Amino acid sequence: MGMHTKTIAAAALLALALGGPALAKDSGFKLMMTPKWTGFPYFEAAGRGGKDAAAELGDTFVYAGADHADVSLQVETLENFLTQKPDGIMLAAIDLNAVAPVLKQARAAGVVVTTFDADAATEARDMFVNQLSYKQAAQTMLDCALLDAPEGGEVAFVAASPTAPNHTAHIKYMKEFIANDPKYKVFTVVDTQYANDDDAKSYDVAINLMQAHPNLKVIISSSAVSAPAAARAIKSSGHAGKVFSTGFALPSAIKDYLMDGSEKAFALWNPYELGYLAAYVTHLKLAGKLDIKPGVTFTAGKAGSSTVGEQGEIVYGKPLIFTKETVDKAGF
Amino acid sequence: MKGLGSRIFGWEFALVLLIALAAAWSTYLSPYYLTVEQILYSTRHFVFPGLLALGLAVVVILGEIDISLASILAVGAVLLAKASAFGLPIVVAAPFVVCVCACLGGLNGALVARLGLPSLAVTVGTMGAYRGLAFIIGSETGYTDFDASYAYVGATRLGGLVPVSFLVFLALALAVGFLMERTVFGRRCYSVGNNKEAAWIAGVDVARLKIEAFALGGALAGLAALVWVGQYGSARGDNADGSILFVVTAVVLGGIDINGGRGRIAGVVLALFLLGTIRNGMGLANIGGPTQTVVLGLLLIIGVLRPVILNAVGRLRRMGPSGARSTLAD
Repeated sequence: MGMHTKTIAAAALLALALGGPALAKDSGFKLMMTPKWTGFPYFEAAGRGGKDAAAELGDTFVYAGADHADVSLQVETLENFLTQKPDGIMLAAIDLNAVAPVLKQARAAGVVVTTFDADAATEARDMFVNQLSYKQAAQTMLDCALLDAPEGGEVAFVAASPTAPNHTAHIKYMKEFIANDPKYKVFTVVDTQYANDDDAKSYDVAINLMQAHPNLKVIISSSAVSAPAAARAIKSSGHAGKVFSTGFALPSAIKDYLMDGSEKAFALWNPYELGYLAAYVTHLKLAGKLDIKPGVTFTAGKAGSSTVGEQGEIVYGKPLIFTKETVDKAGF
Repeated sequence: MKGLGSRIFGWEFALVLLIALAAAWSTYLSPYYLTVEQILYSTRHFVFPGLLALGLAVVVILGEIDISLASILAVGAVLLAKASAFGLPIVVAAPFVVCVCACLGGLNGALVARLGLPSLAVTVGTMGAYRGLAFIIGSETGYTDFDASYAYVGATRLGGLVPVSFLVFLALALAVGFLMERTVFGRRCYSVGNNKEAAWIAGVDVARLKIEAFALGGALAGLAALVWVGQYGSARGDNADGSILFVVTAVVLGGIDINGGRGRIAGVVLALFLLGTIRNGMGLANIGGPTQTVVLGLLLIIGVLRPVILNAVGRLRRMGPSGARSTLAD
């Protein structure tokens, strides 16, 4: 071949490679995750899970956010994410509506938005990786309450805020179960309070609940910050054994209370796997390997297989109940 | 007076230098920083604290402090929510809310001026009381259904580029700056901040001045609420909770002497730009929350140490080429 022909051939090959039919990209995505706030072991574990999933799948991963739960700071973080042109954003929303404008902007720009742990407005995200279905969560917490107080009694709920959809849904289903399910009829609901995932506030709320309701038996908290704080309040106010705290909590936070017997049972799920799953499904959607329609099943690496539910909800569904005997085996 | 003037100008100049440095640092930290659109868009995060800072600056110059401004913002936001739910047009709702917030500020002022109570104690109390009021009015769920006219100030960008809220902030900064530099009100604030007794003897109605200044702060908080509802689309009792620390940082870093009587609004505006640039740059580089808090804390310390820094700089200047000999002669 002459010099000219070779050059033309090379140029043609290059043109074909660049301008040929677009190969579906299935790796090297830019994933960014922001929790409700950083520094909390629960969210740090989720971040590690996301990071490992991204590494497994060949994507880049960034985990960032403010160090306390502040709506305007979370919105700022998301806007900063958007400026960096990511492919996928994962978040645990503090306020489901406040983040909606920036998430909608992200989706309009083609970014895949996945919420995990705490949902945002449905039209603002592609998928919601729910740790437990709301009903399952409600039932798990009531089962723990039964372990604490098999004979039943008065219960009070503590949630983060009324705009935390998961917590309000838990409370709604717990009330339904208590009203309708014979197993839980032994309980009576006396109060619902909000503590903003804040440790000091949760402590105060627990003290107030015990003062306001002298016959209170169990304080049930959806928030992993509030449950241990309530246990602390119970112990320090001398109510250990008369009032119990239960709900969702990190094993490391409630281990002491289980060991010394002041509390009997808490529940959670593996936050590492939750973060892993969130990143994994975001990647699958970006790679065009996941159709978000009810009933679609898929496999997510180490997290096993799952099914897409209604309105883009993917339920991780593996609750763990920690008692004195099992808390050490948790590993986190 | 001249020495005083050059000291103050010196700080603003230092702030401008720091802003340039911060911008350079941010560009180095992240390739996404240096575009006009990005920088303009990022100003939105500093508009509502900026409006609060303008109000706080006036009160601090006067020799007082008001840390309930963020709570007044929350009351304003939930009142706007109620107005929106009632279907009130924004041209009626906004002035009404600003007036109510001005009254809340004025109440702070009355407690301080007429009852002679220390402003820090009073506003710690009203910080909680107004926050509670916001929760009562707003109920726990809050409100998100604002129509477009309410969201205009906080959400619109002219030409898709310049945020309306940023322009509102600039206009108010100019207005408050003019108020403090060129009007009798402003001069009286400085005089009361410098020496309350002397000002009173000279005929200044100190009590009324204080009430007016606190009311101005409240009114600006009401405007900040208008920006808030457009920007975040959500009005709730806990809006802006915790932001007062940032606002105080901006005021102190801006050169407003915490004891009163000194500092310029221009300094506060520059400090806001500096804080904004640093936070924007760090955010785009995904630097963790705790690190950002440390940096902001350091800036607050620098702001508090400002007189010490300026003194040292002044002494270095005075030493000059022949100065070394004269200090030896002392």
